[in-house]
Amino acid sequence: MTSQMEVLDVSKVYWDSEKVMSALQSITFGIERGQFVCIVGPSGCGKSTLLKIMAGLEKPSSGEVRFEGEPIIRPHNKISMVFQSFALFPWRTILENVEFGLETQGWSRDKRREAALECLEMVGLAECQRMYPKQLSGGMKQRVGIARALAVDPEIILMDEAFSAVDEFTAETLREEVVEVHLNTNKTFLLVTHNLPEAIELADKIVVLSARPGRVKDILDVDLERPRDKTGSDFVSIHKNIFYLLKEELESSIVKHKIRCIHEFQRLHDMEGR
Amino acid sequence: MYNKIFTTLLDIPKAWRAYVKIGPVLWAIPLASFLSVWEIVSRTGYFAAENVPAFTTVLLTLYSCMKMPDFTLRVAQSFLNLSVGILSALFVALPLSLITGLRSRLDLTLTPIIMLMGALPDLAILPIVVMWFGPGNTAAIMMAAVCAFFPIYFTVREGAKAIPQDYFHVATVFKSGKFSTTSKVILPAVFPNLVTGLRLSFDFVWEIILAIEIIARVTGIGTFIDSSVSAGSIEYAFAGVLAIGLIALSIDRLLFRTLENRIARWRE
Repeated sequence: MTSQMEVLDVSKVYWDSEKVMSALQSITFGIERGQFVCIVGPSGCGKSTLLKIMAGLEKPSSGEVRFEGEPIIRPHNKISMVFQSFALFPWRTILENVEFGLETQGWSRDKRREAALECLEMVGLAECQRMYPKQLSGGMKQRVGIARALAVDPEIILMDEAFSAVDEFTAETLREEVVEVHLNTNKTFLLVTHNLPEAIELADKIVVLSARPGRVKDILDVDLERPRDKTGSDFVSIHKNIFYLLKEELESSIVKHKIRCIHEFQRLHDMEGR
Repeated sequence: MYNKIFTTLLDIPKAWRAYVKIGPVLWAIPLASFLSVWEIVSRTGYFAAENVPAFTTVLLTLYSCMKMPDFTLRVAQSFLNLSVGILSALFVALPLSLITGLRSRLDLTLTPIIMLMGALPDLAILPIVVMWFGPGNTAAIMMAAVCAFFPIYFTVREGAKAIPQDYFHVATVFKSGKFSTTSKVILPAVFPNLVTGLRLSFDFVWEIILAIEIIARVTGIGTFIDSSVSAGSIEYAFAGVLAIGLIALSIDRLLFRTLENRIARWRE
């Protein structure tokens, strides 16, 4: 059986003036239907780039992403996205923001209003439908972002650091709500994050990326019972595992950096000596 | 008794409450004082009445002017030239500024030369435009269009540059095509800038329209003011100036204020 979404040997390079920068290197993993997958990695490892490639917003330099067997070259209407910056349109009311994805699909006014309202109810913001985004707090804005992603009835929801721009308490309630939505709708979720406890709390499967260029360091299955106890021994041991993996990564990149500095220093020293 | 007057005068809280109460119409106090000083200075004959007509005289003249077809037609002609000029500038400036605001390579190519042309004083090219198009409405419209172009172009370009990249990601992820991205994301996002640009260009264009009318004798309210001064009927010149002021003020209030209030409802 093939996975619902497959990332096959995806690499991404950027040309930065004359240098070639490798952002992602041979990333391969699969996502099953209804799974909650988290991608974690040190900052700058290209995890957001990977998400953009999976959303069809960017093209991989080599390899491909497949959704139900077909390669993704442009955004697919069964894949929607939640943004770190919320990215609500300030000139639209909350309801109109949620309707956006349906508008572009040419739904009639009444039908899309009904569908959008249903999604707003799912995130508990039906009363705010006539407000503008500026009247909402960060957490509420992200709820609208989630409702907008749900409105197009996608099979996969991609979330780019969706809980990083709000305070920790709000993030906690948002996560609980997302878990609930995940249970009720049985949609596939993919979250990119640098917050380890968050990943372990939410994920069925965690993909750990290495420091730049991002490679798959490890893929872990998390079979803890939900709701998950953050202080439970299994939770803590998984946290420890991934933490050591990432720490190793960070240390190796720090060591590399240090060695580079020493070489540079040596070179300058030699030049001065001459 | 003096004591009582003194305490009444010093009743600051009461005076403050009265001051707050008339808050919404406070602007009327300096206006009324200005108009009465004007009226008194003129009536006392300190200046000759043919140089400074009293405010009431100007008001009555304006009222009688409004019944003169010559006057209303001239006002209408000036206003028409101004509107056509601004609309044609908008027609060119809006698409151009969106393109350069969103495509940095095109911006680097085109904006320097547009900046160079924008730096030319509008009055400097006025005689050349009059020479090319003759002293008629075409020249007035051309000048209005040239004047209106730059404020619209630069404000809208700034707005387009400031559109967050994530808005375009949202548009792409939700399968919005080129046309719907333009109408549903780009245009609403730059709308506040467009209103600012139009408002700025409106002020500039009034001046240049009057300048071209007076300098190149293009028929309009400007020539009316000019000929009234030459003919020594100064109250007609004042009435013309007052008419322009009232039109500009009402457009500002009715059009731009309304639009800005609507924008303020959602703008962060």
